[in-house]
Amino acid sequence: MDDQEFNQLLEKYAEVVVKVGLNLRNDQHLSIRGNVDDAPFIRKVAETAYKAGARYVDVLWDDENIKRTRLQHADPETLTTLPDWLYNRYEEYSKRGDAELAILSSNPDLYNGIDSDRIAITRKTLYQKIVEPLRKYNNYANWCVVSTAAPAWAQKVFPNLPEKEAQTKLWDAIFRACRIYTPDPVKAWEEHIQKLDKYKNYLNAKRFASLRYKAPGTDLTIGLPEDHHWGGAQETFKNGITGTVNIPTEEVFTMPHKNKVDGLVTATLPLNNQGVLMEEFSIRFENGRAVNFSAKKGDADLRKLIETDENAGRLGEVALVPNSSPISQSGILFYNTLFDENASCHLALGSAYKSSMQGGVDMTDEEFAARGGNKSLIHVDFMIGSAKMDIDGIQADGTREPLMRNGEWAFSV
Amino acid sequence: MPGKSHQELLKQYAEAIVKVGLNIRAGQRLIITLAATRGVPYQFAPLVHEVTKAAYAAGAKYVEVIWSDEEMMRLRAEHAPKDSFSEYPTWQVDAILKMIENGDALLSIGGSNPDLLGSLDPEKVGAMQRTHLQYYSKVSEKVTTNAINWCVVAAAGETWAKKIFPDLDAQTAQQKLWDAIFETTRIDQPDPIAAWETHIVNLRKRAKYLQAKQYTGLHYSAPGTDFTLGLPSGHQWISAQSMAQNGVMFTANMPTEEVFTLPDRNRADGIVTSTFPLSYGGTLIEDFQVTFEKGRIVKISARKGEAALQRLVDTDEGSHRLGEVALVPASSPIAKRGHLFYNTLYDENASCHIAIGRAYRFTLTGGEELTDEEFVSAGGNVSLNHVDFMIGSPKMDIDGIKKDGSREPVMRQGEWAIEA
Repeated sequence: MDDQEFNQLLEKYAEVVVKVGLNLRNDQHLSIRGNVDDAPFIRKVAETAYKAGARYVDVLWDDENIKRTRLQHADPETLTTLPDWLYNRYEEYSKRGDAELAILSSNPDLYNGIDSDRIAITRKTLYQKIVEPLRKYNNYANWCVVSTAAPAWAQKVFPNLPEKEAQTKLWDAIFRACRIYTPDPVKAWEEHIQKLDKYKNYLNAKRFASLRYKAPGTDLTIGLPEDHHWGGAQETFKNGITGTVNIPTEEVFTMPHKNKVDGLVTATLPLNNQGVLMEEFSIRFENGRAVNFSAKKGDADLRKLIETDENAGRLGEVALVPNSSPISQSGILFYNTLFDENASCHLALGSAYKSSMQGGVDMTDEEFAARGGNKSLIHVDFMIGSAKMDIDGIQADGTREPLMRNGEWAFSV
Repeated sequence: MPGKSHQELLKQYAEAIVKVGLNIRAGQRLIITLAATRGVPYQFAPLVHEVTKAAYAAGAKYVEVIWSDEEMMRLRAEHAPKDSFSEYPTWQVDAILKMIENGDALLSIGGSNPDLLGSLDPEKVGAMQRTHLQYYSKVSEKVTTNAINWCVVAAAGETWAKKIFPDLDAQTAQQKLWDAIFETTRIDQPDPIAAWETHIVNLRKRAKYLQAKQYTGLHYSAPGTDFTLGLPSGHQWISAQSMAQNGVMFTANMPTEEVFTLPDRNRADGIVTSTFPLSYGGTLIEDFQVTFEKGRIVKISARKGEAALQRLVDTDEGSHRLGEVALVPASSPIAKRGHLFYNTLYDENASCHIAIGRAYRFTLTGGEELTDEEFVSAGGNVSLNHVDFMIGSPKMDIDGIKKDGSREPVMRQGEWAIEA
């Protein structure tokens, strides 16, 4: 694609993000968090947002190099230092009901070679001082997560191409996955959202008590809480706006019961978590808890992740994605959760979303936990789906029906 | 002998900034930003990365960088709703204030596009600037009282370089601007830090000489300029280094060639003509004259950017008055480059200048301890603004006025006329 063509695609992408993703309202503030490399895209989003009536677009820019420099050179004792303003900024924006866009294009190898203790301290500090205290504002306002073809990420996905070409190729994959090449991307998204809603509604009507997974290296039963709720592409926030939190999205998902997961599960894609890669790993669960696990690569990091806190070894999300999803069919391993999770059935270690339970958003943490909701500092997706995976849904009376066969939906909607 | 590579120069520049400019102490935190663009333009990342490394090497506990993209300001001024320009993200001011209260160091890296908002609706641009000044005044207050060690430097921004060297291609222009920056900040010398030490001693001698003289005022004459200003009792002549309230000795500007103090806010009479363009809030103001009566601006005119100049003066009462008077010889290394920089940090060190707006508290003996009212009655000026503009040239003569009313030469033909 030439520069002009790229520019037009970027504009369409920005439009999908502002209109479908955020569904930005006239007079809303928009807060964006992105990397300095994301500037060309962020400028398009800002322009589109202002034209849609945004009052203010405020960008919090990150530079990954500075983060790495800190982990490399700063005195380890200082790694628990994090300025208050970051939390204050999010709090101010959440309380006012501002829209929020996060851009997730990090370098999967950012922290290569850095001591795993240092990474763990930094992660824990971030979760304790920012992520966890902000959970009380979950779903206050419309938010959305998207990606851009950042140079380091592109290089990881296409290691044999020169940087520029790798970036072009990754943009192409992003545009494809996000339906930007269709004549009317916003309309294509509306149709896609409706389709996911139908799967979601079917599963919600069935009230399954558990799901049974079978695939090479996987033999797992996941109990679902009585009041579990399957979610699709869209979510309605406390400020009354309905948006699409992930662009792209191919999943329907709910929460497992935190104490009712048993058996063995094997990851089918590498997991990239905050600059660390974990590959070819299996986890055995008993009564909801990871009791045994090992990884061919990043074993120590997997252990640190699971031991982040008491409940980091329990599950908070179960998501179904057919193997024929456009992202899966691209055959590209993205090393980026937003994309890889939409290529494959997956589970998440750590916290469950309160929106995955009927009435959950109004429950206290204690009520939510009593009904099977998991609470942890982390929420990390890992992929388990493949063309060899079968999943059954089992109702309370033992009635059993196929949900997926050979990685594809086994029912029609 | 082969010259230093760009990367080496950048590294030594970062070292000089950390050691001479900020004089970072072990265990201190550092925040890097730029108020004018609400963060450091990310095009300066290579310098920011070197400064970050140098700061950690000097024992910094944490380096915080607030980044920005200049283009976002232009997009806002162009597309945001007309009634939205009073919006301001308060988190930045809170972040900087908290770090200052904690005794952390502050670095500003300028060099963004001096004409970024030049062609846009002046009303929107003015509203944007006013809102910024109002929110940012809490930070300005801390900085101008030297609450912490702080430093302002520049990096060779692409558009800025093109503005200075319009006939060169972008890359050559940028290279040439880096050359100018490295030369005037003494980074091209074999031992930049030693060169800075010598330079600081020389400037201090001038400041001491003027301090001993206890002039009650200065008189300026040059083509288009016939102007007298008063110096309040207790005025302090300052040069490169200052002692911050957190006990750290620092060099606030790199480069710096000036010796400066505060004028009496009620004693300025006559007319001054600018000798350099002024970039204010993203707009260029050129060839302007300002007339004073009893310290107050009573008339302005400009060949270009008059509306922006009027906006500056109209900001508040203090913006009708002066807050700084600085002496710089016309032969300063920056003036010798022979071209404009369209950037105050550089142009002010090429030329004698005065500032519209706020006076620095530390230019008055005991000024940091005074309330605004007390400072004002001692002759100090208070304002949201502090904007330098250049009035010096090789044709300027300056006299010092003694208590008995007699005069003696301080500068002749733009050069020092004193032995120090």
